[in-house]
Amino acid sequence: MIADLGYFSLLFALLAAVYAVGAAWYGHKSHNERWLESARNATLITLPLTALSSALLITLLLTNDFSIQYVWRVSSIEQPTYLKVTALWGGQAGSLLFWNFLLAAFTAAAMAHKWDEQKPLMPYAIIVASFTQIFFLSLSAFVENPFARIAGGIIPANGNGLNPLLRHPGMIIHPPMLYLGFTGFTIPYTFAMAALISGRLDDTWIRTTRRWTLVAWLFLSLGLILGGRWAYDVLGWGGYWGWDPVENASLIPWLSGTAFLHSVMIQEKRQMFKWWNMFLIVITYLLVIYGTFIVRSGVISSVHSFAQSAVGPLFFGFIAVMALFSIYWITKRREDLKSEHTLASFLSREAAFLYNNFLFLAILAIVFLFTNYPIISELFTGERGFVGPPVYERALAPLFLLLLGLMGIAPLTMWYRTSLQRLGQAMVWPAVVATVTIVVLFFLEVRLWAALLGVWTITFSMVLTLVEFGKGTQARMRRGENFFTAFSNLMARSRRRYGGYWIHLGVLVMAYGVIGVELYQQETQRQLQAGEIVALGAYEVQFLNVMQRPGPDDLIITEAVLDVYKNGRLVATLTPRREIYTRTGQPMTIPDARSTFFEDFYVLLAEQPTSPTAVTLRLFLNPLINWVWAGGFIFVLGTLIAAWPDPVEDKITAVRARQRPAVALTGD
Amino acid sequence: MADVSWTNESGSSALLSNKSNNRVKFAIGGLLMFAAIVFLVVNAVRGNTQLYKTVAEFYSQQEELQGRDLRVAGWVMGDSIKFTQIDAATSQLEFEIVDDYYNPNLRLKVIAMNEPMPDLLQDQAQALVEGRAGEGGVFLVNPGGLMLKCPTRYEELDPAGHPSGVTFSSNNQ
Repeated sequence: MIADLGYFSLLFALLAAVYAVGAAWYGHKSHNERWLESARNATLITLPLTALSSALLITLLLTNDFSIQYVWRVSSIEQPTYLKVTALWGGQAGSLLFWNFLLAAFTAAAMAHKWDEQKPLMPYAIIVASFTQIFFLSLSAFVENPFARIAGGIIPANGNGLNPLLRHPGMIIHPPMLYLGFTGFTIPYTFAMAALISGRLDDTWIRTTRRWTLVAWLFLSLGLILGGRWAYDVLGWGGYWGWDPVENASLIPWLSGTAFLHSVMIQEKRQMFKWWNMFLIVITYLLVIYGTFIVRSGVISSVHSFAQSAVGPLFFGFIAVMALFSIYWITKRREDLKSEHTLASFLSREAAFLYNNFLFLAILAIVFLFTNYPIISELFTGERGFVGPPVYERALAPLFLLLLGLMGIAPLTMWYRTSLQRLGQAMVWPAVVATVTIVVLFFLEVRLWAALLGVWTITFSMVLTLVEFGKGTQARMRRGENFFTAFSNLMARSRRRYGGYWIHLGVLVMAYGVIGVELYQQETQRQLQAGEIVALGAYEVQFLNVMQRPGPDDLIITEAVLDVYKNGRLVATLTPRREIYTRTGQPMTIPDARSTFFEDFYVLLAEQPTSPTAVTLRLFLNPLINWVWAGGFIFVLGTLIAAWPDPVEDKITAVRARQRPAVALTGD
Repeated sequence: MADVSWTNESGSSALLSNKSNNRVKFAIGGLLMFAAIVFLVVNAVRGNTQLYKTVAEFYSQQEELQGRDLRVAGWVMGDSIKFTQIDAATSQLEFEIVDDYYNPNLRLKVIAMNEPMPDLLQDQAQALVEGRAGEGGVFLVNPGGLMLKCPTRYEELDPAGHPSGVTFSSNNQ
């Protein structure tokens, strides 16, 4: 009964989306606002319907209804309640339903938000958004039905259960963040296509699109950062990013979205790069769908991809349809998308954004090429090739370095033209500080040229960025404000600008961390008898003993007790452990770490100890790893500042909307 | 103000010449950048790619694959998993993978030195291993080259306990 209700709710959501397309089209053609309102209501109702469907699937998970195939696959009687809820996105069918719910939420929010201001775009926006919904709802309803029963009326006594590695708070938040990021990018595309089709390519669509892009981008960034943290905490390999195809599938649209968020400023300020911005929005959307295709089709071997599924060809068809649709409209509106100005100087703010876009797109192209290398190599050589992380790092490191440098220099440039002399003067002191930094590091035995070059570039950009904060604050202090008032007013009055600088600072802090952990990570593995010592870097670990105790549910916990010394001084007692779920026999290795500002000393058990007096340890020394997480925090903070609604900007948009003709239901 | 004076030049021969100069500069700059990317890609990829093989392909092409960097995927046979501590500093993890779990005619012995025992390494797990062909038809895993399929995506078994993915082949990857 519950399953039937859930499935019918899903079907009704699909019908509502189909109706929304028809009603919006008819309303637009007949200039009938009532039909348009009806189309909007149909779009809005997909939200409660998909929410109901998701809630009913959660109910089935909570009530252990193992007659439902999905419930049997991802849940079990013993599973804690919160994991039964999160099992909604623990498998293909459930996560598609969850995806539909988030897509409906974004679509409803976009339709409800400033409906009157955006009315001229809305018929097309409803059609484009609902078309995307139709595709994903159809997949859920007809290909990956989460409410399907096990064939033959079998009702297993218990389910498989979620893998213990997923019993981590990361499971609560990491997948939803990624999904929010992915589904969120549908909205900027929707408004971009609506602007294209309606021919209303004024400022309004770009402001609307930018805000929605920033929201989606924030979630996608959070998803990427949290995924790295989860991998570091749980997977026990001392790393946070592996250049796996599925990881790349999230990074690729993030790169094009980032390029758009930069280049959109040129269009707002100088009415340039209109075509380019449209292209970036379109490819971001297509890359989101493509990323979903990679994750869900199993077309490229990955440690993260879902089981192989029939959804692959359907995704491919959908991408092709949407790509052709987008290309058609961009081509048709090419005259309207021409820049109103040309680039006056290669040393200007516009040019800096252009270089920024080039670097982001170059990184995107390389990651895309390497991710798809198995398919491409088979096509051209008949053999499936694969490229691993070292290849990515070798190809991308110079581009990332340039990007980090540009991050500091670009804010110094002026619109239209910047004098080389002015730019040079502003860079002298940051260059001196950066040089002194690497000289000090050199005397502290940091001798890798790649590390020194990286630190020089990051420090240079960081000083430049901090100087920008300082100049802004000082200017306000000259008006009589104290430091704190001046600083907070600076943030409040120029959210986009200073939010952006915070984001840059976050990236730069993360970059220090990446250099530390990538170039200076040390690791070793050693078997120790009780009382024996192993050394790694400045650390020494003495193994004391192994203890075993029962844990909650069916857990047996085996932990090693280790004293950790740094430079001969006891600094911590660590207890890395292995937990075994006795019912399934599934082990779970839980590392322990001594975490400081400058490094993590990270220890895990390399195997299940079989004696209380012997243990095999895997040790990692990860310099600056915490800077990656701290940078991530600053990055998110900056995005929140930049994305926070700005009443002044909202007022401008509202005034512009009122200035447009009152009747706006006509288009092509 | 800069905007105004700039746009007011529109139509002048100076601007036209500037536009055409810019186009040439753009074209040259674009070509140089494209060449730089191609160089970065070729330089990174050359001699550093892995060949993806199934267990059957590994055995049938064993001689020609000698010395090549390979990536092989397969189902883990649980009865073959063995972790041996050779001495205090050396451990050996070995297990066998197959293309078809229910017809395991060809078993590929995988050996990983000084790797911790992964939690996911168990019967019917899907393993991705990177490494080289060793002597006697074994597969020697590169450091850090042992990967087990991410736990979020375990949906391979049907209620009767059979893997629904069934086999690994060139076509279904």
